[in-house]
Amino acid sequence: MILWRVGFRNVLRHPWLTVLAVVGVALGVAVVSAVDIANQAAQRSFQIAAQSVAGKATHQVVGGPAGIPEQLYHTIRVTKRFRDCAPVVTGPLQLTIKAGTTFQLIGVDPFAEPPIRAFSSQFSDSKVIAELVAKPDTALMLRQTARELGLKRGGTFPVEVAGVRRELVLAGIIEPPDEISRLGLASVLVTDISTAQELLVQTGRLSRIDLIIPEGAAGMKLLEEIEAVLPAEASIIPAGARAGALDRMTRAFRLNLTALSLLALVVGMFLIYNTMTFSVVRRRRLIGMLRALGVSRREIFLMILGEALLIGLAGTVIGLVCGNLLGIELTRLVTRTINDLYFAVELHRMPLLPATLLKGGLLGVVATLAAACPAALEATGAPPRAVLSRSLIEARHRKGVRLAALCGFLVMIVGAALLLFEQGGIVGGFAGLFAIILGYTLLIPGAVVLSAGALRPAMAALFGVIGKMAARGVVVSLSRTGVATAALVVAVAAGIGVGIMVGSFRLTVQSWLGSWLQADVYVRSADNGGGRYRPPLDPALVARLSRLPGVESYSLSRRASIEGASGSTEIFSIEVPKFAFLDYPFKEGSPRTAWESFSQGDSVLISEPYSYRNKLGTGDQVTLRTDRGVRTFPVSGVFYDYGSDAGIIMMSRVAYLRNFNDQSIDGISLYARQGVTPAQLAGEVRSRGGESSIAVISNSELRRATVEVFDRTFAITGVLRILTLGVAFVGILSALMAMQVERARELAVLRAVGLTPRQVWGVICGETALIGLIAGLLSLPLGIIEALILVYVVNLRSFGWTMQLFLDPAYGVQAVVLSLAAAILAGIYPSIMIARTSPALALKEEE
Amino acid sequence: MRRILFVVTAVVIILLLLLFFAARRRSVPETGKALSATEALGGTPAQGFARAAAPRRFIFPEDHGPHQGFRNEWWYFTGNLESSQGRRFGYQLTFFRVALTPEPVPRISDWGTNEVFMAHFAVTDVEGKQFHFSERFSRAALGLAGAGGRPLTVRLEDWTALESSAQPWSVKLSAADADMAIELDLTSLKREILNGASGLSSKSGTPGNASYYYSISRMATSGTIRSGSESFKVTGLSWLDREWSTSALEPDQVGWDWFALQLDDGRDIMFYQLRRRDGSSDPFSSGTLVSADGTGTHLRRDEVQLEATRWWTSPKTGVKYPSLWRMRIPSQRVDIEISPRLAGQEFVGDFRYWEGAVVLQGAGGSAGGSGYLEMTGY
Repeated sequence: MILWRVGFRNVLRHPWLTVLAVVGVALGVAVVSAVDIANQAAQRSFQIAAQSVAGKATHQVVGGPAGIPEQLYHTIRVTKRFRDCAPVVTGPLQLTIKAGTTFQLIGVDPFAEPPIRAFSSQFSDSKVIAELVAKPDTALMLRQTARELGLKRGGTFPVEVAGVRRELVLAGIIEPPDEISRLGLASVLVTDISTAQELLVQTGRLSRIDLIIPEGAAGMKLLEEIEAVLPAEASIIPAGARAGALDRMTRAFRLNLTALSLLALVVGMFLIYNTMTFSVVRRRRLIGMLRALGVSRREIFLMILGEALLIGLAGTVIGLVCGNLLGIELTRLVTRTINDLYFAVELHRMPLLPATLLKGGLLGVVATLAAACPAALEATGAPPRAVLSRSLIEARHRKGVRLAALCGFLVMIVGAALLLFEQGGIVGGFAGLFAIILGYTLLIPGAVVLSAGALRPAMAALFGVIGKMAARGVVVSLSRTGVATAALVVAVAAGIGVGIMVGSFRLTVQSWLGSWLQADVYVRSADNGGGRYRPPLDPALVARLSRLPGVESYSLSRRASIEGASGSTEIFSIEVPKFAFLDYPFKEGSPRTAWESFSQGDSVLISEPYSYRNKLGTGDQVTLRTDRGVRTFPVSGVFYDYGSDAGIIMMSRVAYLRNFNDQSIDGISLYARQGVTPAQLAGEVRSRGGESSIAVISNSELRRATVEVFDRTFAITGVLRILTLGVAFVGILSALMAMQVERARELAVLRAVGLTPRQVWGVICGETALIGLIAGLLSLPLGIIEALILVYVVNLRSFGWTMQLFLDPAYGVQAVVLSLAAAILAGIYPSIMIARTSPALALKEEE
Repeated sequence: MRRILFVVTAVVIILLLLLFFAARRRSVPETGKALSATEALGGTPAQGFARAAAPRRFIFPEDHGPHQGFRNEWWYFTGNLESSQGRRFGYQLTFFRVALTPEPVPRISDWGTNEVFMAHFAVTDVEGKQFHFSERFSRAALGLAGAGGRPLTVRLEDWTALESSAQPWSVKLSAADADMAIELDLTSLKREILNGASGLSSKSGTPGNASYYYSISRMATSGTIRSGSESFKVTGLSWLDREWSTSALEPDQVGWDWFALQLDDGRDIMFYQLRRRDGSSDPFSSGTLVSADGTGTHLRRDEVQLEATRWWTSPKTGVKYPSLWRMRIPSQRVDIEISPRLAGQEFVGDFRYWEGAVVLQGAGGSAGGSGYLEMTGY
C-alpha cells in the first residue's frame, strides 16, 4: 500500500505532466473509438437497412435497370404455386419538408408480406390498411420520424420523387416489431405497391420479388423450378448479396479510416512511453533506495504499472466520453462521403455499443500498460546500485543506438517486403506501412546523435557556448530526447504523408476532369435522391434540347446498375461525338483504335478500378447479365475514372439499347456552336427547360462541384490528420517539458555557476528547438515514404486508383514549423520555473 | 490519500455509468399493439357502404356473383363426403370478399384495388383423425384474386370456385395446399332458399345491421379429396351459403353457432344462434327449414330449442367449445343430437373458430343425418 502511495504521490506531484499524459491517452482513445463508432454506424446501417427491408427473404428475383415485369409475380405465386414470396417496388424519394433528406420508398403488398416482413404487415388499426391500399398517394412512416417532421396522421407532406413534386398523405405509422427494425426503418417510407408504382413511374414493373427458399435439396429444386420460368432479363440472387455488396463497397474506405485512427493511438503510445520512462528515470534514486531497503523487483514493477494504469484509466474514460461526442461528427462526415462516393444512405447514430466501449477501453488501458512496460522493466532490471546511477542509463542508451538502428533497418526491410507482396491486400499494405514507421522510429535515436553533432558547429556559431551546450545536451539525455523526437517524427510524418496523398489525389482528379468533361453545358434531372443514379429525363425535353440553335453536338448518357450475385455493376452508356471520345483519358488502349468497335456497340470500355478489381484489361471479355440473357463483351480500352471505386463499364448507347429494355436518358451534355458562349447556351437550355425539374450545369460549375465533392470526401481524412497532429503536439510538449523539469537541479547548477535566467532559458529553448528542428527534418523523408505507400500501395489496393504524385513543399514547411512551435512552447514553462526559483533552493531539492 | 483514491474511483464509475445509460436511453421500444393486415381487415368503418336495409328481389344466377358496394360478401361451401370404401371426409372452402372502401378509386397501377379476398380451406379426415386447414389472403388485383358474376368465377390464387353449368346450377371447386386438396363437382339438388324475411336476415335491432342471405342447402357432390398424401374418390352432399352485408356484431353479441344440417329424410335445416355476452341466445337468432321438395319455412328462435350438453377443450388453444348439441323443433318434429365427427376441427388462423363436419342422431322417430357446424366467439 505504501508503494501505491509513492506512485500516487508521484502522479500528483507533477500535475502538468500527468495531465498531458492523460490528454495524450484520451486523444488517442477518442480518435480510435470515434472512428470505430462511425464505422460501426456505417456497417450496421447497411446491415440493418438491408435486413429490415429484406426481412426473412433468402433470395430475390431481380432484373435489369427497369426491374422485372409484374406478371412474373403472378407466374411464380399462382402458376408455380410458390407462395413464400412478396413483390417489392422501391426507389429513392426526397422529403422536401426537411431539405435534402432522402428516404427509401418501399412499396409492398401488405397481404403478401406476413411471411417475409413484420413491419409491413402489422398495423395499428384497420383504417390504416384501408387508406394505405385503397387510396392513392398514402404512406406510412415511423412514429419517431413523423414526430421529427411535425406530421400527424392524415396530414400531408411534400416529396420529390422521380423528379416530380407530389403531396403524400400520412396514412399511419409503421409498427416495427423490434428495436433493430426501428433503426433500419428510420428513413423508410412504406406505401402500397400500387402507390409505389405510380410514384416511381414503374407501372407494370417490380423492383424485385423477395423469396423464402428453404435450405437443402428441396430448396435447390425450388430455385431451379423458379429459374426455369424467369425471362432472360431476370435472375435470382441471395438476399444477403445486397447488404454484403454495400459492406464490401465501403470496406476499403472504412479500413483506411481505422488505420488512420490507429496511427493516432500509436503516437499516443509514444507519449505514454515517454511519460513513464521519464517518471522512472527521474525517480531512479528513490527506486534504488527502495530496492536497497528490500522492496522486491516485482513490487517495483507493479508500482510503476499501477501508476500507468491510473493514467491509462483516466485517459481512457475521458477518451471514451470525447470519442462518443467526436463519433457523432465523424458519423456525419462518413455519411457524406458514402453518399457522395457510393450510394444514398442515411447513417443512424447507433446506440453506443458495448463492443466499441470495450474495444476503446481495452486499447487505451493495454496500450498504456504496454508503453509503460519498458520503463518498468528498466526500473527493475538493473541491480540497486546501478539504478542509482544516472549516467549508466544514458551510457547504455547510447550503446543501444546502433542495435536499435540495425533493428530499424531490418524492420523496414520486412515492411518493404510486405508492401511488395501484392496478395497482401489493404491489410498487408497497412501492415507494411506500420512496419516502415516502426523501423524508422528505431533509426531516430541514431539520427538524433548524428544530426545534433552535425548541427553543433552551427549552433555554436549562432549562439556561442549556450548553443553548443544545447546541442550536447540533446545527445547526453538521449534516453528521453530520442523517444520524444520519435513521437514527434511519427506524428508529423503522418501529417505530411496524408497531406501529400490527398493533395496528389486532388490534382489528379482535377486534371482528369479536364479531359473527361469537355461539353459546355450538362443537363440532368434535379433529383439526386438516388445518389449516383438519377431518374430519367423527359424524352421530349431531350429531343428539344438537342435541337437548340446554339448546340453544335451533344452526348446522351444513362447510368444504370445491374444487380448480380456478387453485388451490382454500374453501367454507363453514352452516345458521344467522336471528337470528344478521342480526348478521353485512356490508361490502356487508345481512343483512336477503340472508337470504331465501341461506337458500333461491339466492345465496351472499363474503368481503371474495374480493371484492377476484376483483373481485366484490353482484349479481355466482360460478362454481363442483360435483358437478353447473359452476354459477353470484348474490352477495347481501360479509362481513368475517379468517380467510382467499384469501377464502371462504359458502353455505347447502341449497345445499351440492344441489350437492355431501357430507352431512357438521364443526362445530356451539349457542345456549344462556334461563337456561342457556355453561359448563353445554358441560358437557352434554361428557357427551354419547360416544366421539368432539371439541373443545368456549366462545365466550370460541374468541375467545381466535383472538386467540392472530392474535398468533402476527404474532409474526414483531414480531421483525422489534424487530430493526429494534435496528439503529437501534446506528446512533444509533455516530453520536452518533462525533460526540462527533470533537469531542474542541473540547471540550478548552471545558475549557480553564473548563467543568467536569460541564458538558462537559451539553453533550454535551444535544446527543445533543436529537437523540434531535428524532428521536423527527420519527419520529411518518412512523410514522403508514407505518401508514396499511401498513393502507390494503399490507394491502389483499396480503390484501384492510380494517381500522379505531387510533392507540395508547403507540407514540409508546415511540418517543420509545427514541430518547432511545439518544441519552443515546451521550453517556456520550465524556463519560467527555473528563472523563478533561487538556485540554492533548486539545488536542495531532492531526487 | 484514501479519500483522493476514493474520489477518483467514484468519478470513473460515475462516468462509466453515464456512458452506459447514454447507450441505454436510445433503446426504448415503440409502444402500441399492432394488428396483422388481416386482423385489421375486420374493422373497416362501415361509413359509405351500402346496407341491407330492405328486402330485395333476388335474381339467379346473377346474384351468385359479387355485389359491389357492400363491405363483406362470402361464398361458403361445406360438405360431407364418403369414399367408396366408406371413409368419411368433411370439407370447407370459403371465399370472403372484403371491400376497403365503398367505391373503387381509378388507379394507374394494375395493383390498385379496394378489395381484398380471404379464403379458408379445411379438410376433415374422419377415420384418419386429421384436420387440415389453411387460410389465404390476397388483393383483388393482377388476377391474384377476384370474383365475377356470369358464369360465376371466384378465385384466390389457385383456389377457385367456377360455375360449370347454369341448369341445374353447378360449380367446380378446386383447391390444394401442402397436405390437402379437393377437386369437386357440385350440382344443385334444390333451388336457392332465401333466409330471413325474403332473404333479408336481420342480425340485430339496429336498422341496416342485416345481410342478404340465401342458401343452396343440398348439392350433389363428387370428385377427389386428398388428405396428407392419400387421395380418394368421393361422393356426398354439399351446402352453399351466400351472404353479403355491411353488418357487424352488436357490442353485446359475442359470437354465433351456425348449423347447416342435412337430414336423411330429405329435409335441411339452417339455424344460427347469436350469443350474447351473458351466454344467452339473442332474439335475432333464426333459421330456415327446407322441405324435401325445396320449399323453405322460416324458423323463429322460440321454435327451436338448442342446448349444449357436452364440452371439449382444445389442446391447441385451451378454448372450450360445445361438443354435443341437442336441437329440438317440436313444430317440425325434429329432435336430434349433433356431435362432431372429429373433436379437433378448430380453425386457428387470423380468426379462430371451430368449424367441422357433424353427425346427427335422431331421437323419437326423428331422422338423423349429417351437416356442418360453425362456432365462433368462444
